Amino acid sequence: MKLISIQLCNFRQFYGETPVIKLAGGEQKNITVIHGNNGAGKTTLLNAFTWVLYEKLNPAFAYPKYLVNKRAVNEVILGKEVEYWVELYFEHDNKQYKIKRKGTAYLDKTKNIQHSSRIDFFMQFAGDNGKWYIPTQQPVDIIQTILPESLHDYFFFDGEHIDHILRYGEKNKIAEDTKELIGVKVLERAIEHLKKARQNLTKELKDIGDIETKQLLKEQSKKEAERDKLTQNQEKITQELTQLEATKKEIANRLLQLSGASELQKLKQNLEAQETKIRKNLVEEGNNLKNYLSSKAYIVFLLELQPIINNILSHSRANNQLSSGIKPQFIHQLLQQRRCICGLELNEGSEHYHQVKTLMYQTGMANTEEAIIRLESQMEYIQRQLPDFWQKLDTYQANISKWRIEISHIETELDEVTEKLRKFPNEDIQQLQNSLDGLEIEIKKLTLEQGVNKQKIESFNQEIEAINKKINKHQMQEEKQAVAQRRIKATEEAIERLIEVRGRLERQFRVSLEKKVQEIFASISFTPYFPRIRENYELELIENTSGIAMTVAASTGENQILSLSFIGAIMDRVRAWSQQKNTLMGPDTSTFPIVMDSPFGSLDQIYRRQVAKSIPQLANQLIVLASKTQWRGEVATEMANFIGKEYVLVYNSSKPDCQEDAIDLYGKFYPLVKTSPNQFEYTEILEVETTNYDY
Amino acid sequence: MMTEEANINYVQEPITSAEPEIRKIIEEVLQLEKEKIYMKIPKNINEEIITVIKRVIK
Repeated sequence: MKLISIQLCNFRQFYGETPVIKLAGGEQKNITVIHGNNGAGKTTLLNAFTWVLYEKLNPAFAYPKYLVNKRAVNEVILGKEVEYWVELYFEHDNKQYKIKRKGTAYLDKTKNIQHSSRIDFFMQFAGDNGKWYIPTQQPVDIIQTILPESLHDYFFFDGEHIDHILRYGEKNKIAEDTKELIGVKVLERAIEHLKKARQNLTKELKDIGDIETKQLLKEQSKKEAERDKLTQNQEKITQELTQLEATKKEIANRLLQLSGASELQKLKQNLEAQETKIRKNLVEEGNNLKNYLSSKAYIVFLLELQPIINNILSHSRANNQLSSGIKPQFIHQLLQQRRCICGLELNEGSEHYHQVKTLMYQTGMANTEEAIIRLESQMEYIQRQLPDFWQKLDTYQANISKWRIEISHIETELDEVTEKLRKFPNEDIQQLQNSLDGLEIEIKKLTLEQGVNKQKIESFNQEIEAINKKINKHQMQEEKQAVAQRRIKATEEAIERLIEVRGRLERQFRVSLEKKVQEIFASISFTPYFPRIRENYELELIENTSGIAMTVAASTGENQILSLSFIGAIMDRVRAWSQQKNTLMGPDTSTFPIVMDSPFGSLDQIYRRQVAKSIPQLANQLIVLASKTQWRGEVATEMANFIGKEYVLVYNSSKPDCQEDAIDLYGKFYPLVKTSPNQFEYTEILEVETTNYDY
Repeated sequence: MMTEEANINYVQEPITSAEPEIRKIIEEVLQLEKEKIYMKIPKNINEEIITVIKRVIK
């Protein structure tokens, strides 16, 4: 983030719109100095930066609730709102941004200043064509990614209190903030959230359930084997049956050839042929009966519904819910002719006219009426069909029982013939018949076995089909399971790698950060102490003169230098790392501004010189808010070459006998304190005329 | 002392040497975390990370 300019309006000491304070940001001349005595508004300016960016005020900033300029609010009538705002232009990633935060205040009846709770925040950015656009992202989010709010203490600070970042109780914060700056926090959160993701993925895997595809496949092949065995057996039976039938035929033929038995045998064959024919008829008639019942038997049950339907229809007719059967055209014609078919005149508005017109509404259901008529005629037709139905049913049943009786007769006759053959006074014939009997028994047995096998094969086929379906389903689940497992594995690997990166980053970065802090600290301080960054990022000052490293109870001044060294080192390291295509970590910024109020705190002369010398090199851009006493010779001298812009805050005191003050800059006197031309105190901003600006 | 570049390469090596799928997951997750780093409790982060993993590994 590079700051370009800031402008205030009715913000604390600053009455009306201040001039635009342009901020130096050149390669060489990157310092803006703003001179002002105590109370002139230096701290206000510092807070204007944090207020416009984050709506945050320094804890040391007095009366944070009263932001409006008193003169501005007193000049308008009671109750009228006065705006106060801060507008900041900055550049980030070659893009210019403009942000403005605005609030309003008014004087209530008791002449007390009231601030409305609503604070508006606007952001625009300049496109490549120079036009200003409103961002699609939340402005607050944009600022957070450029320079996170939690880190603002390190870039906008009061130099007199800078050592507070090292104070007890704040050490944890500095550790956390450092982690955020160098990207460790991002890694930590990524690890934590990936672990959570792994948990969720594991749960999903569990929900897919146990898969027993292997067992199913085993079961399937077992059943297939059994089925195949049965099929083979079946083929064997068929072969045997064919053979048995052939033998039977052969014996029957031999019986025919034997004198004496041929008559009986012929009779037997006749009877058998008759039986086969009648059995065929019986099966056919049985099928006919079944078909007839399934297509016509509904008639019997339908008749029970007829009285109910009739009841509904007559009820609806009685209530005029059905149409009268009159066509709408007919009513229309009557109304047009203004005469009813009974001869009555139909004048518009008359009672008769109204009655005829009412009929029109009942003609609207032509389709319904048609359907009802069709329904009624169908019902009648069905009713007529009923006697036919019963008659035909009787015929089928009569035929069936007639054939059954015939079969029974034939069977008796067959038994008798067979019996005669068995007892025929010829041994050959007897023997042949006995063989035939044996064959019959065998055939019967095999046929029965064949039927049982067929049923078994069918049921095996069904079972195999069911298992097949299950297997397909499980295979799909298996795929899902495999993906889920791969996801878990990938997540675990990502976690492991990030843990490794975090370890390396912490080690490497901490070491290089510590080195840089030590380097900066040594360049400013004349003490033999050196800073150390512990593993938990706590910063401490160590002395090692006796050969044993010991923590030093540092003075305020030393802590201030240490704090500055730390801020400088952080900026240096993050800058160096982010320039190395290190896109994975840390904030998206490599340019850091520092806005520093009272930069030289309680430092003595040597330190002031050293700090003044170091600071311009630490930050990319520096805005120094200094009082006359802070901006003394050695500081001005050390910084002179880097100053790009300079301003003076002129405090107009409402005290009539105030002691006026001025500052000499480049041979010209600028007032620092002067008597206010009215009863209000306020501050004006004057730009200092210098030469050789480079911004 | 390693150079700055070697230093960073060393730190990032576990990411750059990962299989493309793993690398993509890591980079996208880090980007999501970076965008939400200023939130105390990052909104919807768990759902978004799961979505990334499921999108990358199908």
